[in-house]
Amino acid sequence: MVMAVNMQVNLGGLIMPNPVTDASGTFAAGREYAAYCDVSRMGAVTTKGVSLNGWEGNDAPRIAETPSGMLNSIGLQNPGVAHLCEVDLPWIKSQGVPAIVNVSGHSLEEYVSVVEALEADGQADAYEINISCPNVDAGGLTFGTHVPSVEAVVSACRVAATKPMIVKLSPNVTDITEIARAAEASGADAISLINTLLGMAIDAKTRRPKLARVVGGLSGPAVKPVALRMVWQCHNAVKIPILGMGGIMTGEDAIEFMLAGATAVAVGTANFVNPHAVNDVLDGMIEYCERFGVSDVNELIGGLQC
Amino acid sequence: MCTTDEAQAFDERARVLGNEQVGPRLYKITLDAPRMARSVRPGQFVHMQLTGFEAHILRRPFSVYRVLPESGAVEIIYQTVGEGTNYMTGYAPGVECSIMGPLGHGWQPCDGKLLIVGGGVGAAPLFMFAEELAKSGHPFEVVLGAQTESMLVTRGDYAALLGREAVLATDDGSVGHAGFCTEPVRAQLATGEYAGVFCCGPEPLMRAVAGIAREAGVACWVSMEKRMACGVGACLSCVVETHEGKRRSCVDGPVFNAKDVVW
Repeated sequence: MVMAVNMQVNLGGLIMPNPVTDASGTFAAGREYAAYCDVSRMGAVTTKGVSLNGWEGNDAPRIAETPSGMLNSIGLQNPGVAHLCEVDLPWIKSQGVPAIVNVSGHSLEEYVSVVEALEADGQADAYEINISCPNVDAGGLTFGTHVPSVEAVVSACRVAATKPMIVKLSPNVTDITEIARAAEASGADAISLINTLLGMAIDAKTRRPKLARVVGGLSGPAVKPVALRMVWQCHNAVKIPILGMGGIMTGEDAIEFMLAGATAVAVGTANFVNPHAVNDVLDGMIEYCERFGVSDVNELIGGLQC
Repeated sequence: MCTTDEAQAFDERARVLGNEQVGPRLYKITLDAPRMARSVRPGQFVHMQLTGFEAHILRRPFSVYRVLPESGAVEIIYQTVGEGTNYMTGYAPGVECSIMGPLGHGWQPCDGKLLIVGGGVGAAPLFMFAEELAKSGHPFEVVLGAQTESMLVTRGDYAALLGREAVLATDDGSVGHAGFCTEPVRAQLATGEYAGVFCCGPEPLMRAVAGIAREAGVACWVSMEKRMACGVGACLSCVVETHEGKRRSCVDGPVFNAKDVVW
């Protein structure tokens, strides 16, 4: 007889029916993947980063394949928060799953304005404050790599946000635990990591960069060891829960992130490889729990035995 | 203007039935994919995961050359342009790959005589369209261009449809017009007989053909290929600059009205 495994988790006040969401920017707002996977089985849908009035994004080519991974420099192209509230959030809600809205800005004021717009709209269930996008010139990474600006953005968003607030961290720092602590001290309910690793790719034949913007963010299985290490470090540094991500392709990958200290996990680049990855990862996690006699997935959080 | 009933996309395990070299760096792979064979429309593409090549994680988009709905076969003509397509040349019958599709918006005929212009391997994604035109008795002409005669790998199939040879051009003059296929296109449009041009090939060729069509006052559609990740409209990698902003090649295209494209 197969026992029922409890998969529900609490990510800083956001109750997720299971730990699996998508990594922002890889899944749009879910509808594009509805032909391939059952979005209603997700723990939450995390939207593409949204700014106040929308951004055009960077020039193409915007991606390059690299060994066991890829670089992207999309540049947070998005139609703005009003469009998200009007078109995307109602669809996510129609699937009966929580909506985590990834919030982006070029300035502190823009982050706050986006959160205020989402609060006024009321459909978002949580915010993921993106202070770690490596592909925009203003905002993004520039906010996420030193403590005073992390404190400023997170504190300002905290004032505006009544819903659970997740702060998304960059791996492109000397000590990620310092940033994690700053986010926690400034009012974050949870942290998510890792955003992409800044990298580049060169075409030796043409002597040109493979990305129009020259540099971009590395994702995919190639970054998983770095991501696991950082999740484990942050788990040991802060008390708030962690949304772990970076190269998760299978249920077993996701379990590894939970053992390292994640409460929930996000599936990113895997969606491009396998359009039902979000469902397959959940199935793989349930299978693992059944096989190893885990009755509650929460037992796994930080369960690494060193 | 016809309306399409573009099917809901899905993913299917496809089995390789054949994979043969048909010209210099040109191959034809035949897949057993019955559902895809019934669903794909002219100009649409499939997004293929390369089995055994998983360290290269992204799928590869391939336009469909021809489908045989009765036998469930999907034919793709591909050119070896990088590591993925080079690896594919080693696929023997029996290999299974996941394909997603049918993806994108394909070719839509307009009323009047149509000119199909295929440059290089770009002749392949237009073949199903030509088949459909031939079947419905819609008047059309075909111009095919390539570097050299041995690279005009779709020439025979187009000739079978037309009942005669297509208008040919080769860069080296080995057959047909010596030079790019833009000159034959200009000559065709100068007849004043045409209502629409449908072009697929290298971007400089499509840009040139779009310019010739514009000068001739003839509508023109092109199929834009960009580096792609998801194939479903989510990742925003494959954007094309248009006069209405950046559009996704995978779902807003790959076929665009040439007048909308910022060349």
